Amino acid sequence: MIEVKNVKKYYKIAEREKGIIASFKHLFSRKYKVKKAVDDISFSIKEGEIVGFIGPNGAGKSTTIKMLSGILYPDAGEVMIDGFIPYKQRKEYVKNIGVVFGQKSQLNWDLPLIESFELLKYIYKIPEEKYQKNLKKFTELLDMQEFINQPVRQLSLGQRMRGDIVAALLHSPKIVFFDEPTIGLDVVAKEKIRNFIRYMNETEKTTMIFTTHDMQDIEKVCNRLIIIDKGTKIYDGGVEEIKNKYVSSKNIQMLLEDGTKENYAFNVNEVSMNVVMEKLFSRFSIKDISIQEPEIDEIIRDIYEGGISA
Amino acid sequence: MRVYMEFAVKKFQNRLTYRLEFFMGIINTIITVVVFCSIYKALYAGTDSVDGITFQMVATNFVISLGLSNAFSFDEMFLQNKLHDGNITSELLKPVNFKFRMLWENIGEGVFKIIFYFVPAVVFCSFFMELSAPKDAVSVVLMGMSVILGYFVLWQISFIVQTWCFWLFSVWGIMTIKNVIVNILAGSMIPIWFMPPLLRKVVSYTPFEAIYFTPIRIYLGELTGSEILYSMTIQIFWIMVLYLIGDFFWKKGIRKLVVQGG
Ligand SMILES: Nc1ncnc2c1ncn2[C@@H]1O[C@H](COP(=O)(O)OP(=O)(O)O)[C@@H](O)[C@H]1O
Ligand SMILES: [Mg+2]
Repeated sequence: MIEVKNVKKYYKIAEREKGIIASFKHLFSRKYKVKKAVDDISFSIKEGEIVGFIGPNGAGKSTTIKMLSGILYPDAGEVMIDGFIPYKQRKEYVKNIGVVFGQKSQLNWDLPLIESFELLKYIYKIPEEKYQKNLKKFTELLDMQEFINQPVRQLSLGQRMRGDIVAALLHSPKIVFFDEPTIGLDVVAKEKIRNFIRYMNETEKTTMIFTTHDMQDIEKVCNRLIIIDKGTKIYDGGVEEIKNKYVSSKNIQMLLEDGTKENYAFNVNEVSMNVVMEKLFSRFSIKDISIQEPEIDEIIRDIYEGGISA
Repeated sequence: MRVYMEFAVKKFQNRLTYRLEFFMGIINTIITVVVFCSIYKALYAGTDSVDGITFQMVATNFVISLGLSNAFSFDEMFLQNKLHDGNITSELLKPVNFKFRMLWENIGEGVFKIIFYFVPAVVFCSFFMELSAPKDAVSVVLMGMSVILGYFVLWQISFIVQTWCFWLFSVWGIMTIKNVIVNILAGSMIPIWFMPPLLRKVVSYTPFEAIYFTPIRIYLGELTGSEILYSMTIQIFWIMVLYLIGDFFWKKGIRKLVVQGG
């Protein structure tokens, strides 16, 4: 379904030096710095798969999604999706896909949400019956009846995001790209979106790529995980393996009564939380406590250090 | 086609949601009319006509070009804003022609402005000045056709300037200059009749005359049968030339966007 071979995207960034003279020089000759946003990435995704793309900020996730959705030319390599070369056959290709950019909205700010959906019905020439069916199903699944008649500018971030997701799926695309659809949302909203994406994948067999920097998103939604960092792929495989190793490792931070801090790291697969807690409580007099799961950065550091291999 | 009409309808609805802006627009139109009347009434004090042009003709020219410039005004920062806030990407992800979509949204806005700004202004004007009636019903129809052509001429000019946002940080300055040039040379501020002959000759070789002045002359009956046909052909000629120029910049700009990533 999706074939990506040795794709690269280097951005040229004009370098600016400070000062008047430098600004004048800049007018005539420009120095460029090259930013390797995506540097030789390959992968292939089968129909109906739901793949999580995870990586820290600036890893190249959005750049990859843009190339897959046809709005950015790769500098090298090939992309073939459902028989199309996205950036060469953009106008035809985009009928078959849906894209959600979490940081942006495709909805009309001033009109009620439902009006933006209506417009999409015409844009994608969705038959009335199918449109009504999809609209009803999605609004129920995402709990949107309450605010569907409200202007988009009055919606909360979580409501707007749900609106954007429905907007990308109304025409029943075969392939959907989500670029950080849970960014900035609270736990409840995140959960709704995760469940919905999971459901759509299971019932419609929609092929999906999902980027995030939240490990929990991946755990709950995807079966396959691709980790990218600094424009290269550093892990491609099952979620379970990463999960057993990392999500089950916890770090407990304690603030003691005497004001000092203590840390305790362990893996719940090896020792149970109960045992650890009992030990800690008996050894220290604890004022406050917090439990953390490893951040994506730590996982990546571990991969580099050879803790896990792709 | 249906989808583009929907864009126009949505834009129309959009405008209705901003009530304050709407009332300010009406007040603005009325003030413009009052100021204009005072100036030209003073200029015409004691004379019936200047160079054979009567006050009535000037007033009619003014009211019509005011109405047309209302209908012909649109969000000229549209493309630049889409580019700056990054929403151009979601536009490129839609199976619609972005240029047509823009055009039709602008038409929706134009219709809104005609109904809510221009019609009230004409009604208001007719209370204290006499306007020329059209020569006959045929002139009205021909004028209507010429108005639509004039709209496309101006729209293409604006579109060309808008596409420069792919290379410039802001087109606002150039847009303002363009608007001043259009206001002066297209005859909406000072009627083309009063231009120095040499300037008028020069303007006749530019697309500016084809915007407001051609339809107004048809309305006033200044042009006859074959002259009307000729000037409409000129309008169509300009539309095609400007379209090609706009399309050139648009394609280059989009190409730059998809290659460089904005
Ligand atoms: N249009 C652009 N021009 C120049 N550099 C860019 C552009 N877009 C992204 N970058 C740079 O490319 C790198 C990857 O960006 P991006 O794909 O947005 O990462 P992510 O989505 O994983 O956070 C970043 O260092 C970013 O600064
Ligand atoms: Mg991103």
